[in-house]
Amino acid sequence: MNVREWALIAFTILAQMSVGSFLVLGVVHFFAARKDGMEEADRLSDRALLAIGPVLALSLIVSLVHLGNPMNSYRAVTNLGTSWLSREILSAVSFTVVGGLFALMQWRKIATPLIRNVIAWLAALIGVVLVYSMSNVYMLPTQPAWDSLATPITFFATTLLLGVLAMGAAFVANYAYVQRTNPGCADKQCQLLRASLRWIAVASVVLLGIELIVAPLQVAYLAAGTSAASQASAALVFGGYGLILATRLVLVFLGAGIIGLFLYQNATSPGQEKIMGTLTYAAFVIVFVAEVLGRYVFYAAHVRIGI
Amino acid sequence: MAKQLGFYFDASACSGCKACQVACQDKNDLPHNVTWRRVFHYGGGSWIPDGDVMAPNDVYAYSVSTACMHCEEPLCMEVCPAAAISKRDDGVVLIDQSKCIGCRYCEWACPYGAMRFREDLGVMSKCTFCQDLLAQGQSPACVSACVMRALDFGELDDLRAKYGAGNGIEPLPEASFTKAAVVITPHKDAQMSGTGTGKILNVSEEV
Repeated sequence: MNVREWALIAFTILAQMSVGSFLVLGVVHFFAARKDGMEEADRLSDRALLAIGPVLALSLIVSLVHLGNPMNSYRAVTNLGTSWLSREILSAVSFTVVGGLFALMQWRKIATPLIRNVIAWLAALIGVVLVYSMSNVYMLPTQPAWDSLATPITFFATTLLLGVLAMGAAFVANYAYVQRTNPGCADKQCQLLRASLRWIAVASVVLLGIELIVAPLQVAYLAAGTSAASQASAALVFGGYGLILATRLVLVFLGAGIIGLFLYQNATSPGQEKIMGTLTYAAFVIVFVAEVLGRYVFYAAHVRIGI
Repeated sequence: MAKQLGFYFDASACSGCKACQVACQDKNDLPHNVTWRRVFHYGGGSWIPDGDVMAPNDVYAYSVSTACMHCEEPLCMEVCPAAAISKRDDGVVLIDQSKCIGCRYCEWACPYGAMRFREDLGVMSKCTFCQDLLAQGQSPACVSACVMRALDFGELDDLRAKYGAGNGIEPLPEASFTKAAVVITPHKDAQMSGTGTGKILNVSEEV
């Protein structure tokens, strides 16, 4: 593992977290607006929306680090006809531009909610295309460790899991900021926060389930593969990287599963707001570390077919 | 003009001396760690008890000289995001370093490990089939240098007519992956691609 591969780990994790956050925010905002009106929904999500921008920008800047010749990086979108890498870069840049435009309009309340909605939908769609393209970049016929359904499933699971927990943490931080002078949980905002965190807890347990099913299936698939490259990848996973993979699964179980359940319980019973916040932060940090470890093994344990 | 140039390699004649590789490095002025042509020593076998001693059992070894296979369906060209890799009318696959962004994605794709990163330039490099020598009617440097006459080149159809259709021995991947433009005469102990029981013996030399 070298600087170049760490740059790819950072790029894919942060870009996926940004897409997931955007999607989750859209869903939460939709239900919050239906329940308590547009104004309360905006109060809940506007600051969280602005937090996505820097993360996304950071991911794009970091992606340049893995290039040997960054001066030519503008050329990375010149082979859209056949290269998924070109499509990935184009959708990453488009997501940044359209998502950024929406964030600006939402922040400044430019144009009507309907127009903003259309732009948000467009950005969300591009975000999904981005994660889909990202998956296809790795599904090379000469890379058995990557060329399976496990890649898109894992990428989308990471996208949504980091998305829900990052936005949960952002909501908690936003609420703490809004309510600095007015502790307690009597207002609509706090009710919204608790309702959101309950759903976030449920979503993370479901996504955890997907990850816990796919990870062993992926290893079994590799071990059953007939090519020498597939066997070599499986040997790497069972050998040196097995411990990291196991740590990752334990951490994601702890963060999304155990803490998720506690979070659900806390968000259900009033008067536990402080613990609720701490649990959300802890779940996010633990799952983030787990996903980085998972991505580390993804890059470390692939063996190409051939010589 | 030829439709698809290709290399021919006679594994039954190759001694594994690497003169082809050295000639390539010299002709193309490559750094020592950028090898467009590589020679793999492949072997295997085991030991069985024979009375009081252990005797070799089915021990075999042979050498395979490889470079870019100038595939008919080059995966490197398909996946390159910068459209820096192209295929000439004569089938030769070339990389334009002025377009390369140095992402090394082609390196992940090519099953022959033919895409070599130039740390000093920050871009990829690969076998050019010695296009300058070809233009002068000469042979590529590796072919000229082979003391065992184990290398040849030419129009792929002509090579097949002359040497047969063999193209997949270990440790090479199946040629069907990318339609490699190569013809190979197997060594007598050669194993077919995908059925190998041996391993590359000189990994530290040819990474």
